[in-house]
Amino acid sequence: MKTSGGRHCRNSVNGANTVIKSGKGIGWTATGLILALVLSSAAFFIATQYLFGLIICNLGLIIHGVYRRGDFWVIGRVFLAQLVITLSLYYLMHGKDQLLEGATVVLRVLMAFIPGWWLSVTCRPEKIGEVLTWILPAKWAFVIAASLSLLPTMTREVREIYQIQCLRGARITPKALKDPRNWSELIHCVIFPLLIQLLKLSKQTAMAAQLRHFGKHKKTTHWR
Amino acid sequence: MRKVFNFSLQDALFIGFCATLLVALKSMLRLKLGVAGHSMFLMTFFYLICYGVVGRVGSITACGFLSGLVAMMLSVGKGGPLILIKFGLPALAMDLSMMLFAGLLTLKWRCVVVGLVGCFAWAAKVWVENLLMGMTIQVALVQFGLSMLRGGAFTLLAALMVPPVLNRLRAHDLLFNEEIK
Repeated sequence: MKTSGGRHCRNSVNGANTVIKSGKGIGWTATGLILALVLSSAAFFIATQYLFGLIICNLGLIIHGVYRRGDFWVIGRVFLAQLVITLSLYYLMHGKDQLLEGATVVLRVLMAFIPGWWLSVTCRPEKIGEVLTWILPAKWAFVIAASLSLLPTMTREVREIYQIQCLRGARITPKALKDPRNWSELIHCVIFPLLIQLLKLSKQTAMAAQLRHFGKHKKTTHWR
Repeated sequence: MRKVFNFSLQDALFIGFCATLLVALKSMLRLKLGVAGHSMFLMTFFYLICYGVVGRVGSITACGFLSGLVAMMLSVGKGGPLILIKFGLPALAMDLSMMLFAGLLTLKWRCVVVGLVGCFAWAAKVWVENLLMGMTIQVALVQFGLSMLRGGAFTLLAALMVPPVLNRLRAHDLLFNEEIK
């Protein structure tokens, strides 16, 4: 149940249907993924004299990201938080002399963050998933596809359990959760019923897939 | 290596669901405490639950890397390919330490020790990143200490919650792995 070259493939396990269309956009996503990986790794390894070139590349990504309606404030928040923490530590431990060095470090942190932000703004998650199935074994690709297709069900389940438990007076409202002492209540009221649900769901999904001869043949089978 | 990750389809699906739930909860709850390290709470909890339910070495690593992949696909956290390391490295460290401590301690203390090893790997990752970015060793060490302190508190909290949850699952006859005690 893995897509490999097929134009339209349909997975149908346990009532969850996913239509995967390959072709347009996949090449762009794969290129974007590699570009983001290279640029964010370069932020760690590139020599300081070449940092200006990296800044220019990242500026291009920011402009493209903002053009694609990405939230610029996300970058601003990361930059400000890093700037305050790192520069204060540099000032306390080394005095004024090495503040510029501290600022360079903050700049590198930002350069490592921007490609990821750009990727999330410009590439659709399902396309990234499709690219990843090229390198993953068929079973794990199926696991990811099944998990993602069941995500709306899981989210709905979490919301329903959460709201019902809130109505019952559990101390799990966003305000109450600011106190870590209430987190155990979240675990027992929301996560525990969910885990039971997940165990049941995994058993059903596995049985449904195996009844459709999943993993019986060496060559990956497709549901069309 | 293939044998380590050769889970039954049901176990693999449970690991995948846990990973997806971890990422979904992280994005849904958005525990804006203003304290770095709170992500270690959900990570430690779900990784240890995976080990408790599946009961095999490799389950934590599989859950970690799947969480990273799902987070990358759903653009949760800071996004980008490096998020794989953020989720994967603590999971790998926890799995390796689980091999070391298997049978040595009671479940509760094993969870605590393994969780803290995961937290150490998480803080060490931040430390190495900071050093690679050219931060001085002193500042990087202070940041490492702070990460360890904050992440450690959340890890401890999560690790202590795992044994009661596993006991309740066993009481409901949902766990078939009797080795995890």
